Amino acid sequence: MRPKRIAAVARFEFLAVVKRWSYLIATFGLPLFLAAVSGTVLGVQTYFLTQRAAESSAFGLVDEASVVDRSVFEERDGEQVWGNQVSDVLLYEDQEAATRDLESGRLRALYVVDKDYLRSGEVRAIQSEKTPLLSMRGTNVEPLLRSLLRKSLLDGRLEEDVQERVISPALFVRARLGPDGVEVTDVDEALDLLMRTTIPLFLGVLLLTALLSASGYLVQTVATDKESKIVEVLLSSVTPEEILAGKLFGLGAAGLVQFAAWTSMVIFVALSASAALASVVTVPWLALAVSPLLFVLGYLFLGSLMLATAALGANAAESQKLTMGWAMLAILPLMVLVILLEDPNGILGQAMTWIPFTSPLTVIIRLSVEPSGVAWWEVSGAIVVLIISTWAAIRVGARLFRVGFLLTGSRPSLAELWRQSR
Amino acid sequence: MPFGPALVGVEARGASTLSSVGILEYRGVTKRFGQYTALADVSLEVVPGEVFGLLGPNGAGKTTLIRIGLDILRADEGEVSLFGAPPSQASLDRTAYLPEERGVYRRAKVRELLAYLGKLKGLGRAAAAKASSDWLERVGLSRVADHRVESLSKGMTQKVQIAACLMSDPELCVLDEPFSGLDPVNVALVTDLIQQRRANGLTTVLSTHMMHQVEALCDRVALVHQGHLVVYGQLDEIRRRYSPNEVIVWTAMDLSAFGVNATQHKTGGWRVELPASETAAGYLNELVRNGVSIDRYEPLVARMDDIFVSLVSGGR
Repeated sequence: MRPKRIAAVARFEFLAVVKRWSYLIATFGLPLFLAAVSGTVLGVQTYFLTQRAAESSAFGLVDEASVVDRSVFEERDGEQVWGNQVSDVLLYEDQEAATRDLESGRLRALYVVDKDYLRSGEVRAIQSEKTPLLSMRGTNVEPLLRSLLRKSLLDGRLEEDVQERVISPALFVRARLGPDGVEVTDVDEALDLLMRTTIPLFLGVLLLTALLSASGYLVQTVATDKESKIVEVLLSSVTPEEILAGKLFGLGAAGLVQFAAWTSMVIFVALSASAALASVVTVPWLALAVSPLLFVLGYLFLGSLMLATAALGANAAESQKLTMGWAMLAILPLMVLVILLEDPNGILGQAMTWIPFTSPLTVIIRLSVEPSGVAWWEVSGAIVVLIISTWAAIRVGARLFRVGFLLTGSRPSLAELWRQSR
Repeated sequence: MPFGPALVGVEARGASTLSSVGILEYRGVTKRFGQYTALADVSLEVVPGEVFGLLGPNGAGKTTLIRIGLDILRADEGEVSLFGAPPSQASLDRTAYLPEERGVYRRAKVRELLAYLGKLKGLGRAAAAKASSDWLERVGLSRVADHRVESLSKGMTQKVQIAACLMSDPELCVLDEPFSGLDPVNVALVTDLIQQRRANGLTTVLSTHMMHQVEALCDRVALVHQGHLVVYGQLDEIRRRYSPNEVIVWTAMDLSAFGVNATQHKTGGWRVELPASETAAGYLNELVRNGVSIDRYEPLVARMDDIFVSLVSGGR
């Protein structure tokens, strides 16, 4: 094979793709679009939350049972106020005055500790029509009132530290066992799960999308060559192997640029989220580091098979149908994503690491979710398997490509394909 | 005089006399597609510097023959040599091909497309760019150099394809139906380009159904029909061989007065059928000896159209 001819084909194919509007929009428009949508959603939410914060955040409390510990309240402008970070609770001795303040909108809700509270435990929550029944603040203030009532009931009846533990029996400190011992983190469980699954999912989907997108360009370009009848002109100048290699490299470069743009977006989002959420988001650097290599190998493997198969089709639609099977194999890890996220280093994850169709995506997901559970030899082994498979796929693919590329009429029989691919 | 399959045997002599100087040679080439035999034991050669006409009806096997010669297809039997050796990438770099079912990248710009195809032929970047500009100038398309191919007319696109084929000045160029879709001005342009190639000692294989172009351009021809080589040799010789033994005589005198059995020819002359033993030169001497005043005298030579139709329909 002649490198200069391959480079000429690669350069032409690369430029033909990257100049397309569809490519530019997909590569650079998609991240911008997602950023714009996320920014808009966050902006709108922030705006409304700010608006709500500016509204009254006071709640009234009428203690008919006289059980509430008054000592926590402080006097402010002639009123008894118990303040916290979220809202203020105003203690009323007179329910009528409290009702008036509720009607006027000064109070968001009024809580009345019933006279028979000690027997019934009943606390009435009264809201006016001006305040929504299940507002976020309402649900926030109620746990605080429960704590206040607990504290008031226990006051003087238990030792102070026991009393504190009754009120707050357990403060869970989340920790995860890392490879070097115990690593303590203060990550909220739900947030932790969200972040641990979102980033790998995002990265995996992007890798797969970039792989299928680049392979799609390959299918398209072969179909175009065949439909436009330029095949013979090309073949009188370069060999099928040189065309295959040129297309693989040129369109692979376009795919790599796309993947790099999208990956940058993931890193940006992860870093931004880390900053915003006080460093709780872990950027999967290891997964990101090996992802370009996995992309290139996965693309060359899948691409050469797709290119060869696409060449057997008479037109674009037929080529796409013929290559659908390879794409289905490649998206297999996404189909079992729940299992991979739940148990990334289980038998399924380990098995799919060694299958060339599924290994790029599986390794990325495993390294993103739980890098400590992936042995170095697994990653190296997966890469070696991919390299060997890619070499075999290119060899067989180039031969099938020659047979398919020249076909203008009927499709070759399986026996003919087998003969050519040996 | 009617043409018939009996004349095919004459051509076998031409097929069997391959020289060793052929730039493109086929020896006993057979190609089958499943049960269908596209080519059967075809042997011919194209010699350097000539314009070689490859003729035949649709589906005769011409394109298959070309593809085998350019290593796009492989023969099932027989041998092919290009520049004295089996086709290789080096020898293919010295050839160019304009297929009948030609295609272009319609979204590419004209100049970019030419430069790309030039680079595939081994030209460097600068050489390909220069050749693109030069050839666009030669075919009168400089003003659309930066247009997309899809914006060009069919004839203009055809000229782009011809320029792409010739831009590397290939030693051997195979042109399959280069005149289809061209207006008379552009037919003249392409004819001129082919003649320039011959003048420069470059070889051209011309596959066309336009027999008057064959007569105007080709030195030698081969006619393939149903996968078999039925006519092969020098164009003039073939035309003579298939010509009736007749002459046309332009004279102001009445030939019947001399006892000549003549009929009026559409050109205004007298058409005279000669006895089988008589030659055109001998008959001219005889007329002069008999005192016929002759303005113009021509042996009647068969047109390629007639030869083609006769051989092809005779085979059906």
